[in-house]
Amino acid sequence: MYSPEFFLMQGANGLIMGCLYALMALGLTLIFSVLKVINFAHGEFYMIGGYTAYFLVSVVGGVNPLVGVIFAMAVLLVIGSLFEVSFLRPMHLGSVDRPAEYAILVTFGLSFFLQNLVLALAGPFPHRTSSFMAGGIKIGVLTLSADRLIAAGLSLVLMAALLLFVRKTWTGKAMRAVSQDKDAASVTGINPLSMNNIAFAIGASLAGASGALIAPIFSVVPDVGVLPSLRAFIIVVLGGMGSIKGAIIGGIVIGLVESLGAGLIPDPSRALAYRELYGLIIFVLVLLFRPRGLFGEAA
Amino acid sequence: MEKTTLKKLCLFTGLLLVGLLIPLIVKNSYWLHVFAMAYFYGLIAATWSFLDGYAGQFSFGNIALVVIAGYTSGLLAEYTGLPLSLGMIAGVLAAGVVGLFIGYLCLRFKGAYLSLFTIAFAEAIRIILNTEHRFTRGPCGLHVEGLFNTTSVVPYYYLIFFILAVSLFVMYRMLRSKWGLFFQAIREDDEAASAMGVNIVRYKIIAFVVSSIFCGIGGVFYAHFSQMLTPNFGQIATMGLVIGMAVIGGVENLIAAALGGIIVQFGLEWLREFGAWRMVIFGALLMGVVRFARNGLLAPMYKKFIGEEV
Repeated sequence: MYSPEFFLMQGANGLIMGCLYALMALGLTLIFSVLKVINFAHGEFYMIGGYTAYFLVSVVGGVNPLVGVIFAMAVLLVIGSLFEVSFLRPMHLGSVDRPAEYAILVTFGLSFFLQNLVLALAGPFPHRTSSFMAGGIKIGVLTLSADRLIAAGLSLVLMAALLLFVRKTWTGKAMRAVSQDKDAASVTGINPLSMNNIAFAIGASLAGASGALIAPIFSVVPDVGVLPSLRAFIIVVLGGMGSIKGAIIGGIVIGLVESLGAGLIPDPSRALAYRELYGLIIFVLVLLFRPRGLFGEAA
Repeated sequence: MEKTTLKKLCLFTGLLLVGLLIPLIVKNSYWLHVFAMAYFYGLIAATWSFLDGYAGQFSFGNIALVVIAGYTSGLLAEYTGLPLSLGMIAGVLAAGVVGLFIGYLCLRFKGAYLSLFTIAFAEAIRIILNTEHRFTRGPCGLHVEGLFNTTSVVPYYYLIFFILAVSLFVMYRMLRSKWGLFFQAIREDDEAASAMGVNIVRYKIIAFVVSSIFCGIGGVFYAHFSQMLTPNFGQIATMGLVIGMAVIGGVENLIAAALGGIIVQFGLEWLREFGAWRMVIFGALLMGVVRFARNGLLAPMYKKFIGEEV
């Protein structure tokens, strides 16, 4: 059973899933680094991304699944921006007591609301978006699902685009300035409030993109975002809160650990279920031995 | 006697009397069942308020601790010949020990580690209970023995009412003691509290363990009252319900949070005909209260009537 091909196959699948996890975690870490808010509705942004792509591609029909991904990102951009203005801005204007607690409550409240709204509107039954491309692609000795490869490739493209945006554009640099020191940034003429808004909207749309990219691989249900969001939390803690490099490397590490780890449990139903627990073990280890994560700043 | 003390005495005696008299007026066992579940949720909402509203530590783990205590007691009764009472004590202890472990792991640091860890932990417990179905019966549910040799709900009603009243009293006394001051000092400004000589990590852990133990008591009751445990009771949505109850009542007021739990449970029962939309309504209410009425809906009324906060 444990042939070299087996490990190669699990490793390749782990890398593919790791890219998708990294995309999701990147949105979370971007929001955290600029707004200092952990977005507990990240999983629901992912879920909405999956549903909007499904809606456009399979219900309305007649469009390429890629257009579905772009549509999902646009929808989440708007939802993220509106939510930030109406619920998170008051916190940054200083009109909210105990902002840390408020941020968790209001994003968690949104998560609860969205999950139940989609349940009421779309029902509990799973839906699957049509494939990017059916069948498999043969690379050397491995045959990999074309949908997975395309999803991973697109998430690499999106991550590269985000890195370029953050490093090369004025807005990206301004966002980094706000994340380092809000007050100093505003002295130089940057409006921290609009940077908060842009960062939150982009973060939400990255979650939406990962949901839309995975929609052809796994089905969407109203609570499909719960496990991916928990995984994103763990990745961000592992990589270091607010670290972009940490989110990408952390995502790939978690993808590999889950995939290789699952191969070590002989009982297949257990292997599948316990894949989710490796992250928690890593979480415990990080808290015990390196609480600031791989690339986080020392407290 | 001070005026506020007198008012408080009136309020608490009034609530106690109403609670004791309800089974004499409400004869319908369905509604008595709803009352008992409302008290259970009131208790858990109060443990959440105890931790978040006073010590400032945001946990998603209360329902997971309820589930751990319930399953410990239920599984011990199923697989060992242990008397129910010992199994129940073991359930409460298990919640306390797990609470101590989580507290030690997460509360040594500042920041949102506790919220992040407990939400992942709760989901992990649910996954394990579902996966090890040969042992736990998984989604089919674990049958748990009842406590009383009768089909009547009345003894359970009085039991959970008693548990709720005593738990609230004990937590209230703790918060009125030196501990309560330390908790609030940590919540308002942990660096200042630390500079004044409060061992902040220790008191954060104490607050977490106390809240865990009361969750365990609630969990053991829930197991033997509902007589059926399923892993999905421990899903994050249930925790969302508890947090919403405490927030709608008023996080910074133990009594208001418990009353919030009771009232919301009745509200949800009343909205049952709306089906899936009732949770949408609840979610919207939760967000609205957080945004526009930060102190909840009941706590300000309490403050106005009594003239002081809890």
